[in-house]
Amino acid sequence: MAMLLGIPRKCLESKLLRRLALPVAWASVAVVIEVSHLTKAYGAFYAVNDVSFQVGKGEVVGFLGPNGAGKSTTLRILAGFLGMTSGKVVIAGHDIAEDSFEARRQLGYMPEAVPLYGEMRVIEYLKFRAELKGVPRRERRARVEQAMAEARVDDLAETLIHKLSKGYKQRVGLADALVARPPILILDEPTAGLDPNQIREVRELIRGLGERHTILLSTHILPEVEATCGRAVVIARGKVVGEGTLEELRSRRRSSRARLLLRPAEGAEIGTLRTWIEKNFSVRSVNVSEQEGLWGCEVQWEKKVEDPGAALEELVRGLVGAGYGVREATPAKATLDEVFAQLTDDTAKLEDGVEGGAG
Amino acid sequence: MRGFWPVYKRELFAMFVTPLAWVIIVVFLVIQGLHFSLLLGHFARQPDVVADHGPVQAFFGGTIFLYLPLLILCPGLTMRAFAEERRSGTIETLMTAPVSTTGLVLAKWLAAVTTYVAMWAPTVLYMAVIRKTGDLDWNVVGTGYLGVFGVGCSYLALGTLMSAMTRSQLMALVLGMLVTVGLFVIGIGEMVLDDGWARDFCSYVSVWSQMDDFSKGIVDLRRIAFDTTMTALPLFATVRIVDAWRWG
Repeated sequence: MAMLLGIPRKCLESKLLRRLALPVAWASVAVVIEVSHLTKAYGAFYAVNDVSFQVGKGEVVGFLGPNGAGKSTTLRILAGFLGMTSGKVVIAGHDIAEDSFEARRQLGYMPEAVPLYGEMRVIEYLKFRAELKGVPRRERRARVEQAMAEARVDDLAETLIHKLSKGYKQRVGLADALVARPPILILDEPTAGLDPNQIREVRELIRGLGERHTILLSTHILPEVEATCGRAVVIARGKVVGEGTLEELRSRRRSSRARLLLRPAEGAEIGTLRTWIEKNFSVRSVNVSEQEGLWGCEVQWEKKVEDPGAALEELVRGLVGAGYGVREATPAKATLDEVFAQLTDDTAKLEDGVEGGAG
Repeated sequence: MRGFWPVYKRELFAMFVTPLAWVIIVVFLVIQGLHFSLLLGHFARQPDVVADHGPVQAFFGGTIFLYLPLLILCPGLTMRAFAEERRSGTIETLMTAPVSTTGLVLAKWLAAVTTYVAMWAPTVLYMAVIRKTGDLDWNVVGTGYLGVFGVGCSYLALGTLMSAMTRSQLMALVLGMLVTVGLFVIGIGEMVLDDGWARDFCSYVSVWSQMDDFSKGIVDLRRIAFDTTMTALPLFATVRIVDAWRWG
């Protein structure tokens, strides 16, 4: 890839590679989706650029990225709708380039726009899909009914699809993905365009499905990942920029913060406290404000601080030594939103820098 | 061929549930009904009728009324095939199911052929009407139908190909008509050109002379070879185009 992109991008690569070398908790689990060095190019534009990740059996993985990051393209390739430019994808042991039929048989795929045949009734559509996916005739009826029950559209079986609301269409799409009982579900933005109630329902549904299926779902909404997924793969500009469990991702914040609630020492002033902390501890910024007779103090550690916990301990010891009473000390965890912004933003900055350097 | 049967059934379902098939069949039968009654009127005024130039021959390709509806209605039967799937995005769910491209293309084309046959079926009654007034050689009628079946297969295959080339049904219809009308016009060359290779070529392509043969009970293998080619080639091209979408 470095050859394709030109040498200056090597530095970017090495950084990405270091990021990928995370402790992997899923190493012992059977891998059912294996994507290695997947690239999809449209002329000179790389929609997906050297993406590699794995999904273990039974996992619910969020495929996270801003709009236009290459999520849908990647999922379409996985589902067998698009061909790849280079790379390799193995679904449940079947290479999608060589054994496309078997790979497709293992998948239930719900495209982003949930395209359906409006002129069919829900039950007709699902029967058609079941037959298309090779469900034997004698099992078809039971499977369709079960899928409708699971996606909670059983009371709409006789309704024409074009009369359904967006939320119900989404559920019919989900029932379609489920109808052949595939071990793997790939859902492209399953909650896009739904109202908050419907979003909650669909998430509950996905959580329920996660008990029996391996699920890879894409989204650009972070709470979705927190609500449904055990692990996330973050993609930006066609590249994987972060991967890991939610905890791992959170712990990857570069700067961390801490909040303290202090009883002021006698004769102390807010200004002197701030300069004292700035002088004696490795902090980037300090913010002290008065809160009902106590002082709220917010510090942000310097970048070089490797263990924020130890730094906080040191700060508390120092404050107590100086006569302050420490009522509360809370290390602030970066929200996933911050991590996400940081990860996706980093790539942008890096690439800009590289391009500037090359030019 | 995996996935052929369910797609074929759904295609017929869609064709008859959206009234497209019904509209086309009604238009076709109204035109053919008029055509047939005009012919009957014409032959009724004739003192005697030559054996190989009777109403059956006239009906199967003696007049423009057979070709005009086919040139327009055949692309109408196939315009939905792929264009609609791509416009609505359902092609994505269709192609991510374990189906083969060949099965998909054949299912769509055969559904159109089935509708085409259903469209012609009521015209057997016209033959029954002729039968009442005189002799009727059912073998000749059979070759007449074989002729229109061959023409239909090739026009519908061409229409399927055109439908795979655009996302718009209207565009698919227009392209399909351009091709069928184009072939028809080349066939007219047989009547206007002087003897020579150009005239032979036009005669080979001409749907007029094809139907002229079939309506007289002549089954020429060259005609059948032509129809088969004009069916197989477009269908093969369609399979390749549909496969190529994955790489677009």
